Amino acid sequence: MSSFKRKVTNKQATLPVPGTRTSPASSSVTTISTGIPSLDDVLGGGLPLSCCLLVTAPDLHSSYGELIQKYFLAEGLACRHRLCVVDGQPKHFVRDIMWIPGQTKQQVEKTESDEEEDTSDHKVKIAWRYEQMKPFQTTVSSTLSTTDSYGHPFELSIRAPTSLIDDAFRSGQLSSLTIEPTKLDVFNLIRQLEEKLQSDASTPLRICIPSLGSPFWGDITKRELLFFLHSLKSLLRKYPHGCASVGLSPHLSTDNWGGAGWLQKLGWISDAALSMSAFSGDISMSATFPKHHGLVQIQSLPCPTTLVAPSDRFSVLRGLVSSSSGGSGENNLAFKCTRKKLMIETLHLDLEGGVSERRTTASVSEVFDTKSIAATATGASVKIELEEVIEQPEQQEIGKVKKAKKKSVAFDVYDF
Amino acid sequence: MLAPFNLPEGIVLLITDELAAPADFLLHRSLISHIKETNGPTKTIVLSVSEDLARWKAVASKFNLNISHQITNGSLEFIDVMKHVQPDFRALAPLETADLHTPLPLRPLFDLVQGALHKADHGDAKLVILDDIATLEWIGFSLLDVSRFARALWGACLKAKATLIIRHHVVTSGDPDDLFRHLLQMCIYHIDVRPLASGRSGAVSGEVALHLGPSTPVGGGVKLIPRSAAVQYKLADNGPVFFQRGTGGGVL
Repeated sequence: MSSFKRKVTNKQATLPVPGTRTSPASSSVTTISTGIPSLDDVLGGGLPLSCCLLVTAPDLHSSYGELIQKYFLAEGLACRHRLCVVDGQPKHFVRDIMWIPGQTKQQVEKTESDEEEDTSDHKVKIAWRYEQMKPFQTTVSSTLSTTDSYGHPFELSIRAPTSLIDDAFRSGQLSSLTIEPTKLDVFNLIRQLEEKLQSDASTPLRICIPSLGSPFWGDITKRELLFFLHSLKSLLRKYPHGCASVGLSPHLSTDNWGGAGWLQKLGWISDAALSMSAFSGDISMSATFPKHHGLVQIQSLPCPTTLVAPSDRFSVLRGLVSSSSGGSGENNLAFKCTRKKLMIETLHLDLEGGVSERRTTASVSEVFDTKSIAATATGASVKIELEEVIEQPEQQEIGKVKKAKKKSVAFDVYDF
Repeated sequence: MLAPFNLPEGIVLLITDELAAPADFLLHRSLISHIKETNGPTKTIVLSVSEDLARWKAVASKFNLNISHQITNGSLEFIDVMKHVQPDFRALAPLETADLHTPLPLRPLFDLVQGALHKADHGDAKLVILDDIATLEWIGFSLLDVSRFARALWGACLKAKATLIIRHHVVTSGDPDDLFRHLLQMCIYHIDVRPLASGRSGAVSGEVALHLGPSTPVGGGVKLIPRSAAVQYKLADNGPVFFQRGTGGGVL
């Protein structure tokens, strides 16, 4: 589903640049896709040009932050935008980006999914009052529109062809700036980025910094980092055909490194700041939310020309769009990474206790003490394993507690 | 000045906000009301650290105020702070000791503002907006430099009888930082914009409270709003709508 309609008026003198759309909130702002449709929705239609997106990924064991940067680059390559990668090993990073599956395969998949939808409509019998409602969906998917080259269906299992990347380097569409830890000068880097922005103003330039603060950046201090981000933002404002997507290195993404209020400072200095907190290091979280791989926390959202961020008015995932006068709270967001793609979904709690836990306690008579039987048995010992054995001590305790409770109640009632 | 708070002119107003409830709408509103509602010619100076002119123009155009026109006729001066000053990373540690020979990094900016305030053009109703002071500390200027700059700016505005509005970001909400303490000592009124404790909502964008500065004498006709009875607001593109907590007031 996509509620973003392209404004096509007769007065349009210039054709819009491919891979861009006008922001739904304001016709003077152009947005580009990040490559992930659900992330575009959270940002309010896409990342506006002249804005900087900062993605922090505090989990040290996973690299979802870098995955988002790869999507950003892949989308830029597919839309024929100019790209600039700033990293310690930029060429190595670019070799690893995902790509669109082959054309024929795409069409076959489309027809298959259409057939499935038709058959499913006939099968499900829905109560008449719910017939009008569309099925519950937790995420936003992109429409494969042929007229608009906004958003491409990348698949994680497919790598971009090496020839494509080599051609992009050769033609100048893709360029890189290598960071060396001993020679890092923030002012010089800003100057080099300014040169890239000045060279061509006709196509959007996507600046991608996959891992800001990684060991290649040397011993960067908090102030230098914030100064760099601040200067990047003012550069982008000065040259509004550019935009940036910055991924912060995991060890820099927490208050441990940056001090109290670090994420807030990052949110103020960047236009859009998101935090992808993966569950890899946290067993309890991954057990509570088995279908998702991490939480998405929003620090700030881009609003280049308005008081209210377009995302508040147009994001379906965040759920602040309220047709009735009473507003509802914002949806919790989580991300999951399947074999084919990364997507952001709304997060809902399961039924209380979950579907796999027992809802009723087993009756006491069913439980028998297998341990004592096994101890007295002689000769060939037969090991009997029953489900109740594990729960046995708990059941006994519950029985005891229940009895104790009954006693105390009886005592209290008649105690004058 | 600044409905519905009805603050007097010529004061030092400190506006603090948090990331979930930014207070830029108050700055835009004060600029627009200063230019539109003052009888006679006005002079406004905006010192912008983080945001550029395009956003001010876009927001003001929704209120039918043409900022470009104001700039060309000289009644509004928009100063992009980072064009005039730069933090010094080569200093080993922020200089906390006063030394007459070290150049003050924020001095050029102060000279610029003082020059603009003392220009003989455009009327007596002057407004200086500093947006925002917290970023200056974060990107590398030392606390001493920033607090001295704020104090110097305060002095200059007092001499020129101008209203000074300073925006400061609070990142540690329970724990006031040193710069905030310095600013609080200087201010006459303090507006505190906070998000709702229950998180973002579609209907209520945040809460606003109005406090007296520590050295301001009590009394003076301004109705204070304590944090416990904070005024809630819903932000739309054409400005905020204020209402009392729990009343809805035509918004909900």
